[in-house]
Amino acid sequence: MTKQQANWSPYDNNGGSCVAIAGADYCVIAADTRMSSGYNILTREYSKICKLADKAVMASSGFQADVNALQKQLAAKHLTYQHQHNKQMSCPAMAQLLSNTLYYKRFFPYYAFNVLGGLDSEGKGCVFTYDAVGSYERVGYSSQGSGSTLIMPFLDNQLKSPSPLLLPAQDAVTPLSESEAVDLVKTVFASATERDIYTGDKLEIVVLNAGGIHREYMELRKD
Amino acid sequence: MSIFEYNGSALIAMVGKNCFAIASDRRLGVQLQTIATDFQRIYKVHDRLFLGLSGLATDAQTLYQRLVFRHKLYQLREERDMKPETFASLVSAILYEKRFGPYFCQPVIAGLGDEDKPFICTMDSIGAKELAKDFVVAGTASESLYGACESMFRPDMEPEDLFETISQALLSSVDRDCLSGWGGHVYVVTPTEVKERILKGRMD
Repeated sequence: MTKQQANWSPYDNNGGSCVAIAGADYCVIAADTRMSSGYNILTREYSKICKLADKAVMASSGFQADVNALQKQLAAKHLTYQHQHNKQMSCPAMAQLLSNTLYYKRFFPYYAFNVLGGLDSEGKGCVFTYDAVGSYERVGYSSQGSGSTLIMPFLDNQLKSPSPLLLPAQDAVTPLSESEAVDLVKTVFASATERDIYTGDKLEIVVLNAGGIHREYMELRKD
Repeated sequence: MSIFEYNGSALIAMVGKNCFAIASDRRLGVQLQTIATDFQRIYKVHDRLFLGLSGLATDAQTLYQRLVFRHKLYQLREERDMKPETFASLVSAILYEKRFGPYFCQPVIAGLGDEDKPFICTMDSIGAKELAKDFVVAGTASESLYGACESMFRPDMEPEDLFETISQALLSSVDRDCLSGWGGHVYVVTPTEVKERILKGRMD
């Protein structure tokens, strides 16, 4: 008698793509707004971007129920931190917190693929990329989600981050200006929308810089 | 691991202004081990028709031998070269003959048809043709190739421009795929000449 397999999964994949790019004094975080399940579209106007702290913004694709639970956890922990330290968490600190929170559920993971973007304590852009169980790395740019395999090679080509193994360590942030980086993000999502069925509808772009947070939207193909 | 991912491959064909380019990686592997770094995936059928075969290498070689045989027979009987559209239909028919025991290959066909109009197409392993006006991709790196080509392609590129674009798209995409890489092989074909170039990329 063959082993009985579960015909119900606690997970679902709501699709979508996220991108983050770090600049010298800014950080761009972007994600599409389509939420799907299988071949159906559940909504065209779902935000995958969440502001965790003044200088830390997270974009997550994957199973949005788990993403919401994760965001709630992080918000609670951040509030506690603010009470205890009388200040907001810095982006690298939030990055470590996110990693620990994800690994806490190592044996029943959050099905969430995250990119965290923000400004470090020197005001430079920083981007952290994660897997579902909390393995993370600070990088110059990253993408996650259903369109990530389409987007990453083009970002590699345009942003040419130096290897993290080089000595002396070279800066991973891009020399591009803020508007050039935003244009790059728009191009990249237009391309991903063409070939990935789970990416489309609208693009939400969040830019963090010394002046604060700025949000803009761009229409994408709806098919 | 899927049988299509046993050897590893990456193929692109792109249309330009009265020209086309077809490019491939050069790695031949057996799962994780690299066996050869100069493997030929693109074959010339005649001066204006090229065939790239991705997927299982043994099936790619056998398929190529069968197709070259059929084309030579066609040349003897018709006293002329096959048109790209005709060749595509031939490949499709040969693949579908093996519908219930297929060749594990995904071909990419590129040629210059009547009035030097570039023609590209790809098909799945059982011969379903996909004609495209801009570019076609195949291989283990296909998702990355789709992304890179979609972002970099512009219509009506001159041969030199087309070479640059297809090379950048190929190299950036195979750098994100462990089963393809070890350089590139690019053919840029215009009505008057065929330019073959080898690319040096990340050798891993």
